[in-house]
Amino acid sequence: MTDVIFKIAIVDPSAIIRSGLSVLLKRLQGYHVHTFELNSYEFLASNIRTQKPDLVIINPTYWGLVDTENLKNENKNSSTHFFALITGAVDDKVLEAYDEKIHLYDDTDSVKAKLDGIFDILDSESEEFQSLTPREKEIIVGVVKGYTNKEIATNLFLSTHTVITHRRNIARKLEIHSTAGLTIYAIVNKLVELNDIKQR
Amino acid sequence: MQHKFSPRTRMFNLINDDASLLSSVSRFGISLGLGEKTVEETCKVNNIDCTTFLAVMNFLAEENVQPSDLVENISLETVIGYLKNAHAYFLNYKLPIIREKLNDAVLENEQLHSYKVVLLKFFDEYVDEVAKHIEYEDKIVFPYVMNLLEGVNTSNYRITDFEDHHTDVDSKIAELKNILIKYHPTEEVNYKLNDVLLELLWCEKDLAAHNMVEDLFFVPVVELIENKLLNTAKA
Repeated sequence: MTDVIFKIAIVDPSAIIRSGLSVLLKRLQGYHVHTFELNSYEFLASNIRTQKPDLVIINPTYWGLVDTENLKNENKNSSTHFFALITGAVDDKVLEAYDEKIHLYDDTDSVKAKLDGIFDILDSESEEFQSLTPREKEIIVGVVKGYTNKEIATNLFLSTHTVITHRRNIARKLEIHSTAGLTIYAIVNKLVELNDIKQR
Repeated sequence: MQHKFSPRTRMFNLINDDASLLSSVSRFGISLGLGEKTVEETCKVNNIDCTTFLAVMNFLAEENVQPSDLVENISLETVIGYLKNAHAYFLNYKLPIIREKLNDAVLENEQLHSYKVVLLKFFDEYVDEVAKHIEYEDKIVFPYVMNLLEGVNTSNYRITDFEDHHTDVDSKIAELKNILIKYHPTEEVNYKLNDVLLELLWCEKDLAAHNMVEDLFFVPVVELIENKLLNTAKA
């Protein structure tokens, strides 16, 4: 399991349905889920703005046509997806605005399949979690010594774009995002000495 | 709507029910030795707005349920006092203690010297970030809200600006936790280090809950007042 927290807002007037869905989501393998329970649609805009949930699950029975496009546009930087939670009869037209539908009697596996279909969550048993390549280790050394992406690119005869891609892969593999964190990793794995860091 | 705790709940039961509330209780200035007193009685003795106290406790106990019916009649002065106490707790009490324990838990020997230096440096940078976040709130956000309460809206500041500045200070403490779990470079079992790790986990949760109170509880109430003021100004 990765340490990426997956934020989900659940909008439904029923406390039983909200908490039931919340428990089910927390049981899904491979997802580290944090839920927000909203009993009314009116709090959604502020929740999206402050919490930037990865997913919003709304019961369209109660709020008719939800303008998901507008909610998405208002929050340019967020990549929030919208699922409909279906507990009764809903017009097909209404559902067109949603990325996916969850039914009241869906089991854990089918909910997981629906999430997997939309979100690219790393499987901890997959090959993505293999150790760093020699090139990635060279890049870490550069970062830890305080070089910029451009300087690292020049030193290693790479493009800056390639260096950025490597850094993103390193962050994902190690689950370390800060330079200070990479420094610890580099010292532990003897990629650098303390003196190397203090030079710059 | 019925909430988990009411004015007639005994304080003992509230804390016993969810021990993680203890730190929040103390941030309202309530100390232990509560006897058989109810929430209402305790608030009265300590001169605390009972509605606000309960709203925060229920918000935390019900795990971030948006407090639609809780926001009315909240005393923002009380919330600000609570948040300030939380800030002082993290910055002046909890984080220094964790640093001291971390320093104590990682053995000082030739092999580990470099590791220890960069580990503590990481921790210090983290504390600096927390301090910056806290300073911004104490010096800019809270005075702004206090002005609002007096009906004065002097600046062009909006509480939504606060949301923009509210960077995730808790993500870095999670990283430190990951580093210790995955990359700590010794093979002996180290109980002291385990203790530090558990304390870090607790602190991470505590800080996350604190941020939730700010984002989902404090900010929406301020927004309501802002809108009211703007509307009266227009009328």
